[in-house]
Amino acid sequence: MTPRKSLAAILSAALLPATAAAQQEIKVGGIFDLTGVTSDVGKPFAQGVQDCVAVVNDAGGIAGRKVKLIGADYAYKIPQAQALYKKLVNDDKVIMIQGWGTGDTEALKEFVGQDKIPYFSGSFAAPLSDPAKFPYNFFVAPTYSEQLRSWLDWVKQDYAKSGGKGKPKVAFMYGDNAYGKAPIAAGKKYAAEIGVDVVDEAILPPNFQDAKSQLLVMKSKGVEYAYINVTTTGVSLVLRDAKTAGMNVKFGSNPYGFSETLPKVAGANAEGVTGVVPHVPYGTPVPGMATLEAAHKKYHPTDTHDAMYVRGWATCLVWMEGLKRAAAANNLTGAGVKAAIETLSDFSTGGLSQSVTYTPTDHRPTMTTSIYQIQGGKLVKIGDYIMPRTKEWFGL
Amino acid sequence: MRCGDFRQSYAEDMALFDSPLPRVLLGLLLAVLLVLPQFATTYWLDVLNRIFIAIIAAAGLNVVTGYTGLISLGTAAFLAVGGFSTAALAGKAGLPFVVVIPLSGAITALVGLVFGIPSLRLKGLYLAVATLAAHYIVEFTVTHWDSMTGGVSGISVPAAQFAGLTLENDRKIYYLIFPLMVGLLFFTKNLFRTKVGKAFVAIRDQDISAEVMGVNVFRYKLLSFAVSSFLVGVAGSLLAYQARIISPENFPITLAIDYLGMIIIGGLGSILGSIYGAIFITLLPEMLRLATDALSNQYPALMSLLAPMKSGVFGLVVILFLIFEPDGMAARWHHVKAYWKLYPFSY
Amino acid sequence: MEFFLQLLLNGIVVGSIYSLVGLGFVVIYKSTSVLNFAQGEFLVLGAYVCLTMMVKYQIPFVPAFLITLVFSAVLGILTERLILRPMIGEPVISLIMVTLGLSSLLKAIIQGIWGTELQPFPDIFPAQPVHLGPLPVAQGYIYSMAGVAVLLVIFTLFFKYTRSGVAMRATAFSQQVSLSMGISVKRIFALAWSIAAVVSAVGGVLLAGIRGGLDGAMAFFGLKVIPVVILGGLDSIAGAIVGGPIMGILENLAGGYLDPLVGGGAKEVAPFVVLVLILSVKPYGLFGKVKIERV
Repeated sequence: MTPRKSLAAILSAALLPATAAAQQEIKVGGIFDLTGVTSDVGKPFAQGVQDCVAVVNDAGGIAGRKVKLIGADYAYKIPQAQALYKKLVNDDKVIMIQGWGTGDTEALKEFVGQDKIPYFSGSFAAPLSDPAKFPYNFFVAPTYSEQLRSWLDWVKQDYAKSGGKGKPKVAFMYGDNAYGKAPIAAGKKYAAEIGVDVVDEAILPPNFQDAKSQLLVMKSKGVEYAYINVTTTGVSLVLRDAKTAGMNVKFGSNPYGFSETLPKVAGANAEGVTGVVPHVPYGTPVPGMATLEAAHKKYHPTDTHDAMYVRGWATCLVWMEGLKRAAAANNLTGAGVKAAIETLSDFSTGGLSQSVTYTPTDHRPTMTTSIYQIQGGKLVKIGDYIMPRTKEWFGL
Repeated sequence: MRCGDFRQSYAEDMALFDSPLPRVLLGLLLAVLLVLPQFATTYWLDVLNRIFIAIIAAAGLNVVTGYTGLISLGTAAFLAVGGFSTAALAGKAGLPFVVVIPLSGAITALVGLVFGIPSLRLKGLYLAVATLAAHYIVEFTVTHWDSMTGGVSGISVPAAQFAGLTLENDRKIYYLIFPLMVGLLFFTKNLFRTKVGKAFVAIRDQDISAEVMGVNVFRYKLLSFAVSSFLVGVAGSLLAYQARIISPENFPITLAIDYLGMIIIGGLGSILGSIYGAIFITLLPEMLRLATDALSNQYPALMSLLAPMKSGVFGLVVILFLIFEPDGMAARWHHVKAYWKLYPFSY
Repeated sequence: MEFFLQLLLNGIVVGSIYSLVGLGFVVIYKSTSVLNFAQGEFLVLGAYVCLTMMVKYQIPFVPAFLITLVFSAVLGILTERLILRPMIGEPVISLIMVTLGLSSLLKAIIQGIWGTELQPFPDIFPAQPVHLGPLPVAQGYIYSMAGVAVLLVIFTLFFKYTRSGVAMRATAFSQQVSLSMGISVKRIFALAWSIAAVVSAVGGVLLAGIRGGLDGAMAFFGLKVIPVVILGGLDSIAGAIVGGPIMGILENLAGGYLDPLVGGGAKEVAPFVVLVLILSVKPYGLFGKVKIERV
């Protein structure tokens, strides 16, 4: 795709000034990373949200009112996210915010509660799902912890199937940041419960070039399975290094390190790698994909996108439904939208993600985690893992 | 009308104000800034607060880099030390801000002293890399000392409070940050009228000559690190109080580079330069974002296309600025002032 | 023992990439006393140009690589002509700052043209690893070591025997004296910047080839290499070449032995601690020119 073509496409397709009367608009804030360190996944996510908003508006909006997404880039700089948040809430008077990463979500989690602003994040950290602590935080996926627990279940199954004796030996590889460490404690606890040995933990520094030393340590400990909790670039590097070192480890990865991009980047090294896919790959034949593909064709005729775009879209669908219900209840305020979202029960995003349920006491959207495997360069679903909605795992 | 400099004594040469006019103008400016919060929106108050904090930290960095000639890439680390000290002292020990802020500064000054030791041997860019090491060591410590710093998920900081007074929002904390900034700038400005400050400048200009003249170079280099880190630590403390939640992700290495940018663009070895640089570097991204926001709200699909332009314009402005005014904004200000001083009879 | 040897060898192998990128820094510093903070963006830009040539215009790797080198040479000259030349005679710290501005500008240009998504980079090296003793090594690193060796020879000969090379050294020593000796300092600066950009492009393409994917985050590599060149001595070609493997070894030993003890993260920090210790013994790096000051 050339920039000129994409510009032309955007100009022809979307250069329509937002014209609806200002007081009629429903204002929603957007805090996106379009240029920062996570922009490789942040930008397609933001585009998914934008396109979803445009489609809803084209279809007449919410109760006849257009949704105005006041979005901006914070370049993954936390002070900028805080400034942007203050502007959105106090100056623009948005009633909810679509946020992004762990950094901004963590920095704002207490303020959104005080200001009563529902905040949808791209971070799926388990503590955010506990309304007793963070009543206004939402996301649309199983928590990072449930994801890792489900993957460990798969490990146990796979180990038994391949005739392994004793306990499978597992390693966790993660970045030294909030996103990387989010599910690790929960994972270790669960592994002990189900009889999986976590024999090694390795930290992958930001922007690392080689993970050979970590892999050599893993090799010396006889690791058989490893969960890589970093983004796609890092996952691909680990896979390449492991292949070179001739290691026979079965790798798994998380939703930000596992999408259609991974087999393209890691090539044959990605074969057989499993991963958590809370939002289906682009083009999966599910009912919700048709609208998405039509919109994508309209707004980005020359672009290709992956599950990150679907993730933005699916997240937007959920809060759009919240806005719709809040409008029906004639209570389009932050508190009203929160209450409306908490009435969602088994709400379907048209198959783009698992159906989601929120209650005033439990913001875990779903307990079902889909695990995919890369087979022949394609993402193939190998199973849904359902965790019990137990008390003791709540918020952990 | 003022025309030219006529200084007849050392005291006159050292005077902060060379005529009553600047004194009046400064007073007016301070008065305006004092009532401003009553009219500004929360967003602009936040921007103002961040500018003031940046000014304190930039002045601190200028002490060590601009005045003493020791390039430091440790600003982000020192901000982190100040911030996490505040989180611990205010959050865990529950101390009031009148104790917490100076203590955070003092702790940071101590850390600065330790990381200033390589300056005994290292100069220029080699020293810069030693301070880069300081950055990574501090980053590692705050990330892994979970019990004290909250580790990677960060730690929340209670609102600044003292004797029943709680500064929980930007409007209130403005009245803590702003006077503190004025006071610290006054202190820094005066520092360079004293023996200590002049020793710093002597070391910058020629360290061997300075030593010959009786300046204990190592001691003053360390002192410079300590004073600088104290200021940066106070800024970090205020930053924690203002942001109310901090995590290691608040203090990336790029922040240290931004601060270096501030004092170079503003003017090395100039308090005024620290002020201009901090305003410029803090305000420019906000301005650019407001501009791209305005455009992309009109045409939502342009948002992702316009986003990279922010950093592009930023880079371009920096480049053009340095090409046309390599001595910084403070020098440009000086030229402008000199021009108007004799207007319309300048030659 | 095998574990130790593997770490050691891997450190040397990975360090060769550090050396390669570090050479770009040294060439510029040696002749202009500027630390180029836009080096990371040069890497990324070179890799993207090569990627575009190969994927979009379907040019085979070797000609695409040569086009990239030509492009980078031009980029270096343009950078010097448009940005650095107006700054001749200004304080070094302003020059360093201008490269920071350049880095922001280039970053925006890269994101504007190629976006921010991770893009697959074609396999330019065969997938089979090569065995160096006990350690299997990806072929990309072999090329990087070969590249470093070739560049070492070229640079040594260049700085010792060619007119331009000697002129560059003279310029580094004193711009004024060089000017009065009839050396065109401007031409030397342009030469230094284009050499550095070309070296960076080589590094960028190698890196992207090893990583298999390319996005703007690779620019961080520029910052990562600064300690390497400082360790070796900012103005020393040999220093950069030795500094890379030393840094690589330090990282790997810390990663192999300290990481399991402290719960990870030492791989990034420990080399810095050692770096400061080394610098306190050798304040101008291992091979840097010791400045003798006279008042």
